[in-house]
Amino acid sequence: MSNINGKVYAMNCVTPMKPWKTPILRLIFFLLWHIKSKQQDLINLSFIEFARWVIVPKTQFPYLGNRQHKEQLQYDYLLFFSNFNGTWNQYIDAFSAVLSTGLNLIWRWSEKFPGAVPITPFKTYIAQVQFDTDYYYTAYPYATANDLKAAHIVQASLDQLSQRVDTDNPDQFAEHYLQFVLQVQAHLGVTGAAPLC
Amino acid sequence: MPNQNGKLYGLTFLAPIIDDQKATPSHDLQIRAYLATLPTDQNSPFAKAPSTHLCRLVVMDDVVFVGHPAHEEHLKSKYLIFETNCDSDATDYLTGLAKTIPQQLDAIWSHCVGYPGAANLSEFLSYMKACQLKTTFFFAAVNDKSLPESLRALATQRAVVDFIADHQGMDPGRLQSEFKQFLAELKACPIPEPGAMAPLRNIKTGGRNE
Repeated sequence: MSNINGKVYAMNCVTPMKPWKTPILRLIFFLLWHIKSKQQDLINLSFIEFARWVIVPKTQFPYLGNRQHKEQLQYDYLLFFSNFNGTWNQYIDAFSAVLSTGLNLIWRWSEKFPGAVPITPFKTYIAQVQFDTDYYYTAYPYATANDLKAAHIVQASLDQLSQRVDTDNPDQFAEHYLQFVLQVQAHLGVTGAAPLC
Repeated sequence: MPNQNGKLYGLTFLAPIIDDQKATPSHDLQIRAYLATLPTDQNSPFAKAPSTHLCRLVVMDDVVFVGHPAHEEHLKSKYLIFETNCDSDATDYLTGLAKTIPQQLDAIWSHCVGYPGAANLSEFLSYMKACQLKTTFFFAAVNDKSLPESLRALATQRAVVDFIADHQGMDPGRLQSEFKQFLAELKACPIPEPGAMAPLRNIKTGGRNE
């Protein structure tokens, strides 16, 4: 299935918005971008590798000449692309439970968005506006977002320890090595194939 | 702001697909059929081209009608969406693709309106930039590491697990000398291939948590 590659799921959604609402949503994204604390829930969710929203105004669908008919649309469109770890249901459940305020702020401007809570109409809406991926590639299919964060912590700790290996005497090195093990012990999870359901 | 988050770029392209009533199968189906044959592992064209963390290609047949009282409307073209998360800006990234995988690019985008081919780099870049949408908000969980850095870190993590497991309670002098050797071996290892699964490891089972 092309929506899944290794441990990552690709989600695509498109929702219509009345054009007068688009500047409001742009302002919200502007504030979300510049007030980093507002992104904390998104960061804490920790199973999203990459995500993006793209607003396509009704007049700005790419037009490349005579072989194409110009779009004549009444709505602007909000595209959402996410690369997340876990199953579709886990993702939507977590989104609804943790990020409902933020999601409502972003999608309430889309037509007929029911709100992120309660979960049932929210899932129905997402299923309605989602479309499938035809080709999906990831450079690290065996690793989740948490694996990646953990790997960089291990790499940084190892780099620190490696600077001491030539200057420490054996006892000093053993002490620093022990500190290194303590630093990285929570970040040594095994990467590999996703568990079978 | 939005196409970039830290050191990483989130690029989005939307290319109109040729609508030719005489084409059988239709161009959108030809794209889908070709994409279904492309490998998604280390043999993927995007693994051969530099700097792609994750990417997707999607044929968008139409917009979605969400029900009354919303107005029902339809696109006049189908669109090929290319969504990529990478280390370079549009010019450098697309140049890298055009130089390493021109045949695959042509096989995909030749079904799109006005595609000039990847052989003429300046026309290719102009075309792709005409198809580019400005990303409104881009989130990256790890936004300060390049692809080689991430692949290297994942390989290091696996090696460190084994090293720690094999050197518990070892005499300090031997530990230090074997750690030096470990660092040298790690440095000599090539960066793992993008797109490949991690090598299988013999995991000891039977612990109290199992």
